[in-house]
Amino acid sequence: MTVAGESVGRQPAMSGGRGDATRAPAARSRMSVSVVALIAATGVLVVAAAYTAGRLGHASAPWADRMYWLGQSLILAPVAARLFSRRALTPGETLTLIVILTVAEYLVKVCYSPTSFTYVDELMHWRTTADILQTGKLFTVNNLLPISPYYPGLEEVTSALASITGLSIFPCGLIVAGVAHLMFVCVLYVLFRHVSGSHRIAGIAVLVYASSSLFQSFDSMFVYQTLAVPFLGLTVLAVWRLASPKTVGNRVGWFTVAVLSALATVVTHHVTSYLLVATLEVTTLGSLLAGDRASAAWASLLALVSAAAFAAWIVFVAPSTVGYLQPAVQGALDGVRTLLTGGHSSAPPPTSAASGPLGNRVLAGVAVLTMSALLPIGWWQVWRRYRRQSWVVALAIGSVSWYFIVAVRLAVADGSELAGRASTFVFVPAAFIAALAVYRLIGSALRWRFISSALRWRAPAVVAAAVVGALVLVFDGLANGWPPYWERLPGPYQVAGVERSVGPEQLASANWALAALGPGNRIATDIGDMSVLGSYGDQTPILDVSSLYISPTFTTAAAQRVQTESVGFVLVDRRLSEQLPASGQYFSDDPQAGHYTHPLPLAGLTKFDHVPGVARIYDSGNIVIYNLLGSQYYGS
Amino acid sequence: MAHSQTDVAVTAAVAVVACGAAASGAPTAVMIVLGIALFAAPGYLLSQLLLSARIAGLERVAVATGLALCVPILGGVLLNAAGVPLHRPAWLGLIAGLTLVGDVAVFVRRRVGRAAPFTWRPRRIRLAPWHAAAFAAAVLVAAGGLGLARVGAAIQPQPGFTQLWLSTRYAKDHIAQLGVTNDQGSATRYRLVLLRNSHVSETWNLTLADGQTWQRTVPFSANDKLAANLYRPPDLTHPYRYVATYSTTAPRS
Repeated sequence: MTVAGESVGRQPAMSGGRGDATRAPAARSRMSVSVVALIAATGVLVVAAAYTAGRLGHASAPWADRMYWLGQSLILAPVAARLFSRRALTPGETLTLIVILTVAEYLVKVCYSPTSFTYVDELMHWRTTADILQTGKLFTVNNLLPISPYYPGLEEVTSALASITGLSIFPCGLIVAGVAHLMFVCVLYVLFRHVSGSHRIAGIAVLVYASSSLFQSFDSMFVYQTLAVPFLGLTVLAVWRLASPKTVGNRVGWFTVAVLSALATVVTHHVTSYLLVATLEVTTLGSLLAGDRASAAWASLLALVSAAAFAAWIVFVAPSTVGYLQPAVQGALDGVRTLLTGGHSSAPPPTSAASGPLGNRVLAGVAVLTMSALLPIGWWQVWRRYRRQSWVVALAIGSVSWYFIVAVRLAVADGSELAGRASTFVFVPAAFIAALAVYRLIGSALRWRFISSALRWRAPAVVAAAVVGALVLVFDGLANGWPPYWERLPGPYQVAGVERSVGPEQLASANWALAALGPGNRIATDIGDMSVLGSYGDQTPILDVSSLYISPTFTTAAAQRVQTESVGFVLVDRRLSEQLPASGQYFSDDPQAGHYTHPLPLAGLTKFDHVPGVARIYDSGNIVIYNLLGSQYYGS
Repeated sequence: MAHSQTDVAVTAAVAVVACGAAASGAPTAVMIVLGIALFAAPGYLLSQLLLSARIAGLERVAVATGLALCVPILGGVLLNAAGVPLHRPAWLGLIAGLTLVGDVAVFVRRRVGRAAPFTWRPRRIRLAPWHAAAFAAAVLVAAGGLGLARVGAAIQPQPGFTQLWLSTRYAKDHIAQLGVTNDQGSATRYRLVLLRNSHVSETWNLTLADGQTWQRTVPFSANDKLAANLYRPPDLTHPYRYVATYSTTAPRS
C-alpha cells in the first residue's frame, strides 16, 4: 500500500488534503545526498578534531564541547532536512541517507577509541574472544563477565575473522560490530518500509530511532547485543515475509531464514532472545486484533520455536543465565512495585541525567515531552489509516512500552541505566509510531492556509521546525546516553572514570599481573582499574572492597573482608587520594557512591606497606600491587 | 552453462584459493581480502537457495549478510560440541566446506530448473560526475577524521612511568623474579639495589631504552626477606620505586 503523500516519483513529499498547494509536483532538492554525505563526513572530521582537542588537554574547554556538538549537527541536520523536506526523495536516496547517518555515527564512535577497546563491556568481550583464539574452545572462564562465554556468537564471528585474516581482535571487532549495526538499521528500514508502504516514513522512523540513547554508543559497540539485535530483526522480517500473501511458494526458504536467525539470536545474547519471543508474541496479539490469522499463526509459531531454543540453551548450555538476570529483573520489579504503590525508590545514581548539567536535564525533559506528545498522534494515525494492518497495530501496542521506560527512568532506582538498556528495543515501535505522527504533522502544517498561501517561502520554516525537533531528540540521546557528560571528550586520566581510566599504566599493570601471577587471581581493586585488570589481565576483580581502602588502618573489618572474599592481592592506585571519583563512586559496589566530598585518605592506600605478612610485589608509581597470600588474614 | 553459473564458479574459487593461501602462509593483506570474501560466500549461496529471485536489493543483501554471520555462530557451536578446536583450519574448513556444498546445491538446483540462473544486470546508476566527486570527497574527509583521531590518540601526552617488581610466583622453588621496565618515553638510567634481610645483596646500574625490560631470577631461602629499591640517578638517596617480598613458606604468626 502507499500512504497518502508518499514522495514517489513526482508526487509531493508531505501532503494530505485535496486541492492544496502541496499537490503540485515536488521538485528535486538542491541538496543532493552526495552533498549530505560530504557534510556528514565533515561532521565526523569536526568531532574527531574535538576529540583530539580533548586528548591534548582541552577536554573541559567549552569550545571543544561546542565543536563536538557542531560536528554532530553537521551529521544530523542535513539528513533530517532531506527526510523532512517536501522535495522529492527516491527510495534509493532515503536508503542512502540512513546509511550515511548510521556510518557517520559509527565512525564517531570509532574516533573515540581509535586504537583499542576502552569501554568496559567491550573489554569483557575482548577477553572471551582472546580465550577462544588461545584455547580453541567455547565456554571458557571470563572473570569479568562470567555469562559472556555462554553466549559466544559475537566472539565466534570475531575469532573466525581474526583466525582467517590474521588481523588482531580490535579491527575484527570493529568490522563485526560495524557490519552488525548497519545490518540492523537496514533491516529496521526494510521492515518499516514494508509495514508503512512508505520509504519516507521508514526513513523518518530510523531517524527517530537514532535518538535512542544508546544508538551511537552501546548499540554499535563490540558487545553481544550489537550482533544479536540484527538477528532479532531478521527473524521478524522473515515472519513478515512468511505472513505476506505475496510469498506463496517460497515459505520454506523464509522459514529457514527465520529459524536460523532465531537460533543465532539465542546463541548470541540472552536478553535479546527473550525480547525476540516477546516481540513475536506482541506481533501475534496485534495480528489477532487486526484479524490477520496468517500473521498470527506464523508469529506464534516462530515465538514457540524461539522460546524452545532459548529454553534449551539455558537448560543445556547456560544455566547460569537465570542467576545472572535474576537480580536485575528483581530490582526492576521491586522498583515498579514501589512506583505502583505510590512510593518512590531510592534516588538514581549520580551519573544519571537526573543529576547531570541543567542543559542535559532540560534536553531530556523536552525530548520526553516531545515523544510523549507524538505517540498519541501516531496512534490516532494508526486508528485512522492502519487499524486493519496487523503489523502496524502490533507496533502501536509495543510503543506503549515507551511510557513504561519513562516511568522507570524517572522513578526507579538505577532507572536511567535500565531505561537506557531497554531503549534499544522500546524505540523500535515507538520510533515508527512517532514517525507516523511527524509525517502527519508536517503534512498538516503544509496545508495550513497561512503556510500554503506562500508555500515556497514558508514551507522551509515547517521543515526547519521538524529538523530542530529531530535534533532535540537525537541530542538528548547523545547528551544523556554514552559516554556520560563527564567523559564526552576523551582526555587525560580520570579517577574512577570509564574510558578515561584506561591508560598505559593500567594496561602495563594488567599485563604484568597476567604474566607474573597467572590468570584468575582474586584481586581487590577500584572501579577504574577493574575493567583492564579483568580483561587484559584476566584476573578476578572483587567488587565489594571499599572497606579495604577507606580506613587509614588495617581494621578487623578489613581483615574479615580479606578472609571472606579470599582476597589474594590488592591493587592500590594512589591517584584515588588525589581526585574525587568522576563517576561518583570509587568502587564497583560502593556504599558511599555519590556522597564523597574528599578524595580517599592516602594513609588508607599505603597502610598495606605496614601489614605483617603482606608483600609489596609491584610498583609503577601510581599503581602498587600487594600480595596477601602469605599473610595471616588470607584463608585463615 | 555460459554465464548462468558464474557466481558458483567465483565462490568456489574463493573457497579454494583462500584455503590454499592460508596453507601457504599468504600475507595478512591477501588474507584480509580473501577472508572477507570467504566470509560472505556462504551467505550469498544460502540466499540463492532460500530466497526467491524477486527478493532484491537491500533486503537480499541484509538476509545474505545475516546468513553469512550465522555460519560461524551456529557452525562454531557444532564444531565445539564435536571437540574440534576452533583455530584457523577449523574455521576455514567450516566456511569453505559450506561454500563448496552450497555451490553444489545451487549448481544442481539450477541444472534441474528449480533455481533462477545467475544474471548480472546491475541497475545503471546515472551519477553525475560532481555527485561522484562529492561522494569520493566524503570518503576522504571521513578517512581524514579517523586518521586525525588515531594521530590524536598517538600524540596524547601520557605521564611516563617505570615498573618494578619482585614476585614469588615460583616460591616453592625458592626463586623470585626481579624486573624493571622503562616506560618513561625515553632512555633512562637506574640503579637497582637488592636487599637480603636488610643487607645489600647486589647492585645493578641499568640504562634501559623506552619500553625495554630488564629481568633477573633471584634465589632465596626460607628465612630470607627480600626487598629491592630502584633509584633514578642522580638521586641515590630516595628510592624511586621499591618492592619487598618474603618467603611464603615461612611459618604464619
